[in-house]
Amino acid sequence: MTMQATAPVTKHVVYDDDVVRAFALATIVFGAVGLLVGVLVATQLSFWQANFGLQWLSFGRLRPLHTNAAIFAFVGNMMFCGVYYSTQRLLKTRMASDLLSWAHFWIYQLIIVAAAVTLPLGLTQGKEYAELIWPIDIAVVVVWVVFAVNFFWTIARRNERNLYVAIWFYISTIITIAVLYIVNNIQIPTSATHSYSVFTGVQDALVQWWYGHNAVAFFLTTPILGIMYYFLPKAAGRPVYSYRLSIVHFWSLIFIYIWAGPHHLLYTALPDWAQTLGMIFSIMLWAPSWGGMLNGLLTLRGAWDKLRTDPVIKFFIVAVTFYGMSTFEGPLLSIKSVSALGHYTDWIIGHVHGGTLGWNGFMAFGMLYWLVPRLWNTKLASTRLAEVHFWIATFGILLYVVSMWISGVSQGLYLRALDTEGFLMYPDFIESVLASKMLYHMRLTGGLAYFISYLLGMGVLFATIRKGSKSTVEVEVEALQPIRLSFLKIMTGAPVIYAAALVVLTCIFLMAGTLGTAFALAGFVVVIIAGALSVGVEKTRKSWHDMIEAHPLSFTVLTMLAILIGGLAEIVPLAMEKKDVPALVAAADSVWAETGEYTFVQMPYSPLEVEGRDIYVREGCYVCHSQMVRPFRHETLRYGEYSRAAEFIYDTPFQWGSKRTGPDLHRVGGRYPNQWHYLHMMDPRNTSPGSNMPTYPFLAEHAVDVSATAGKMKVLRTIGVPYSDEEIAGAAESMLSQGRLISSNLAEADIELAPDSELTALIAYLQRLGRGPQPTGAAVAGEVAATEVH
Amino acid sequence: MTEYKQDQLREHVYDGIQEYDNRLPNWWLFILYATIVFAIGYWLVFHTFKVGDLQIAKYDKEMIAATEAQLAAMAGLEMNDEALQMMTTLPDRVAEGRQVFTTYCVVCHLDQGQGLVGPNLTDGYWINGGTPMAIHQTVTNGVLSKGMAAWGNQLGPKRVQSVVAYLLTIKNTEVPGKEPEGTLEEGTE
Repeated sequence: MTMQATAPVTKHVVYDDDVVRAFALATIVFGAVGLLVGVLVATQLSFWQANFGLQWLSFGRLRPLHTNAAIFAFVGNMMFCGVYYSTQRLLKTRMASDLLSWAHFWIYQLIIVAAAVTLPLGLTQGKEYAELIWPIDIAVVVVWVVFAVNFFWTIARRNERNLYVAIWFYISTIITIAVLYIVNNIQIPTSATHSYSVFTGVQDALVQWWYGHNAVAFFLTTPILGIMYYFLPKAAGRPVYSYRLSIVHFWSLIFIYIWAGPHHLLYTALPDWAQTLGMIFSIMLWAPSWGGMLNGLLTLRGAWDKLRTDPVIKFFIVAVTFYGMSTFEGPLLSIKSVSALGHYTDWIIGHVHGGTLGWNGFMAFGMLYWLVPRLWNTKLASTRLAEVHFWIATFGILLYVVSMWISGVSQGLYLRALDTEGFLMYPDFIESVLASKMLYHMRLTGGLAYFISYLLGMGVLFATIRKGSKSTVEVEVEALQPIRLSFLKIMTGAPVIYAAALVVLTCIFLMAGTLGTAFALAGFVVVIIAGALSVGVEKTRKSWHDMIEAHPLSFTVLTMLAILIGGLAEIVPLAMEKKDVPALVAAADSVWAETGEYTFVQMPYSPLEVEGRDIYVREGCYVCHSQMVRPFRHETLRYGEYSRAAEFIYDTPFQWGSKRTGPDLHRVGGRYPNQWHYLHMMDPRNTSPGSNMPTYPFLAEHAVDVSATAGKMKVLRTIGVPYSDEEIAGAAESMLSQGRLISSNLAEADIELAPDSELTALIAYLQRLGRGPQPTGAAVAGEVAATEVH
Repeated sequence: MTEYKQDQLREHVYDGIQEYDNRLPNWWLFILYATIVFAIGYWLVFHTFKVGDLQIAKYDKEMIAATEAQLAAMAGLEMNDEALQMMTTLPDRVAEGRQVFTTYCVVCHLDQGQGLVGPNLTDGYWINGGTPMAIHQTVTNGVLSKGMAAWGNQLGPKRVQSVVAYLLTIKNTEVPGKEPEGTLEEGTE
């Protein structure tokens, strides 16, 4: 540095803590809302009557509200609170634009309110954690752009040359969430509140879980790690344990995380290679995740005495411990054979709550108990009550997680149990539900305890705010002397070259035959040795990482590259496989035309079935029912033939589900008469005593909006469903005649159901699942005419 | 470059936050490397060299094992239509049946069962009945008046079952050959 000659210029900086305070309040309030809805849905699983017979409060609609509120409203606001507070201080400058900060705050709160209104109304996209309908999606993209512009603009105006590790994590969050959210929400609207994803079937499943898994990674993990790196050393008054661990675990974490999505789809119809990638990358994620835990826990060395007196440290320790536990449990559950047992069960519910309540919830309160007194220039109103909050919350989350572990494993064992003859020990699914009853009550108790402790914490924070007064923090900082760093030189630095070489070799390894594999493995060894040797040389010069920390553009570009590789490697090959579909469909069509035999290739839904499917999506049936029979004897005995990829080519959104509180439905078509479905939907206990499913009598009273169907079919045709012009033009008639078939069939059993009711459409869809086209009225009318002529 | 020391602070301070530059714990590095080696190994076994069974192959084996277990449970009991039909899902038994067929039966029934001296076994017509147990009976005891030998003692019960299972897999495949003889089995065209 040759600029020493110029005298340092000092700048007067006033931090914008108003917006931080606003986000803090929003966090506290929306956290309570998210938990309250959580307690309500937990109550419904114990006592199905707890929706009070109101469709807007039925489990399938409220569970998405609960997850969206917990993730996006609670953790989202907490993240923004921590990011806005720490970024200004780590960069020694005020946020670049107050206007953008406040636009961010208010648009975000409006989005939350819009979500809270639309989801109970049944307006949904039917993809987990991506339920918000398209107009709200657009608002989310706008708010994220506002956030990103404000954040990067602030970086550009910083008075601190190098970016601290917390900022690295924030950058990765902003970049990745933007990519994930936009791609997963590419869709075509059919109305102001409804749309179809352009992805179908297996592709939709892969894109959705690439998104869903990385929402966990880049919304619930990376920003919170950034917050940990700022608030934990601050509160402990101790240096961070290891800078080089920060570097290694940051880059390995963001690079590996993005590949892990398919672990949500093990033993499904997703191709084997994609499943294996999901599994092995999840396993490799163990150490990078634990790097974060280590840097958190080991930073507290020498501060253990504070553990006794300071609730902030207590919350942080439990949070980081839960992070370590969840990030061990995650790779464990990603092992195919473990997933075979745990998937679709309450084990997953326990796992995600360990993450959200344990890691995010405790991080939130560690941060808030430290931050709120500083923001309002006072002391915490009651350390004692904060302690009580801590102990009840810890008890609550442990009870919650343990009950779900037991419930999950026992469900898995119940459903796979075969007798000595090789047949199902518990043929009726309801037996596994009844076995979990007590554990559902236990979970409710744990969740309730956590909620009550939260209210206590809320009280402490509000009392603190009331006795304090808003503080304004002003500092004198030394202005940043501009230095020249070459983008090109950074991007051609040794680490980039070695990393690129490893990525290329990995691609060869994954795609090549024996010879290529040998080449790739030899290449790995060479690159690793060369890398190790050059690190020794590198250290004598100025560290390359030091340079990228001072050059945000390079840092951002490299982050972007790191997170794009995994997604591209999985999504692009699958998109190319889709080209083989037309031949498959033609072959299946000709078999169907000749013999009427179903060859595990999907044929388009009739108009009534399209509407029935939309009702299935609207009511959130996928929240409790999967449509994916896995290739296990116990599943094919219970449900029928295992599901094939070609059976979902026209399904948008895909409805494979991720949890079985009820049985799989992919082969439910033709299994029961219409009468059974009618009685079941009116009150599931008519046909399945002991069921905890809500009742759906309102479906029988509502009529399907026939006028929208043709428009929906046109959009579906754009996406690839081969509807003819005649089929679209005749949609309304076809619906009525197919509806009449069902209602006249029900009339034989003295049941009156209008042919155009929503329940009729839903029954038509359910009867269609897992098999070929069913008679629509027109065809049958023709047949009747034909037999009369004979 | 300075010597490595435990708990050495870096120069930089961010808003009062300092950083050590401690080495990565060895056990942590071990987990990192071990999981990477496992990942490479898993891919090699299941995808490059395809030594291990992936889900559908595993499922097929699971189903075969279950069928075998059921048949084993039936051992000593009389054979029946259902058991013989079940056996057609076991590739090993069908292969054994085919082996038996090509060794002993092709002389009269030809390689695809299309018939020469003996009748065509791939059409829907049967002289002595086409149900699994009827075929089993014919193979075991023969129809001496028509020139069909009794194979029961020679082949032993297991190979008789296997060849019947094989015959059931070629039944109604309609290989062009000898004209139909006997009566049309019910339910076939």
